[in-house]
Amino acid sequence: MGDNNLSNRIRRFRFEHGEMTQQELADKAGVTRQTIIAIEGGKYAPSLPLAFRIARAFNATVEDVFQYRDADSDE
Amino acid sequence: MNRLQKAAWINLIAVTICVAFAGLCFAFLAKRNARGLDFILICFVVGSLGATAFYFLYHKRSPEARFDEREKMIYSRAFTLSAGITMVFLAGICIVPFYILGGQNLMHVYYLPVIFLTTLFTAQFTHSVAILIQCELEGENGR
Repeated sequence: MGDNNLSNRIRRFRFEHGEMTQQELADKAGVTRQTIIAIEGGKYAPSLPLAFRIARAFNATVEDVFQYRDADSDE
Repeated sequence: MNRLQKAAWINLIAVTICVAFAGLCFAFLAKRNARGLDFILICFVVGSLGATAFYFLYHKRSPEARFDEREKMIYSRAFTLSAGITMVFLAGICIVPFYILGGQNLMHVYYLPVIFLTTLFTAQFTHSVAILIQCELEGENGR
């Protein structure tokens, strides 16, 4: 379900945006709080449209919020 | 408890009640040896009551039946698992009597609704339980 190569800065962005709660972010992204919890914990990799909706909730780009690292990459 | 878990619990309870009720109805019909028009009339009444109950149960909760993408994925995986288990169960319940009784023996007709009801219950039970287990495994953290 999750993707080990995908990390995110959702928690940091939430706190930078007035300590936004997971429920508030869920409402903005149009998903349940459980989905935000799963994404934030790296247990679920969101679809591209959802990743955009989450990024827009923070007025950021998808790459600011989500980072993908190749399995064979050293970085 | 999220919408998906709520829906799974409702489904589990509704199916258990409906299957138990249908089982009692079939037992009653089997005892009376009802058939033909007699059987059809009773089935019509029971079916109408069951359909009405299902309509109110699911129609009222239809706004809650809208799941997000992660919930849809959990639902879909539970459905796949349920379909697989049901097929194995159905194969077992049909083939085992063949081995036990032999190909030339006879069975009572009332075993047919029993097979139908147990298969239906197995499918719904495994589907609901698979959803609940997946939701439970993900757990909750943070605020």
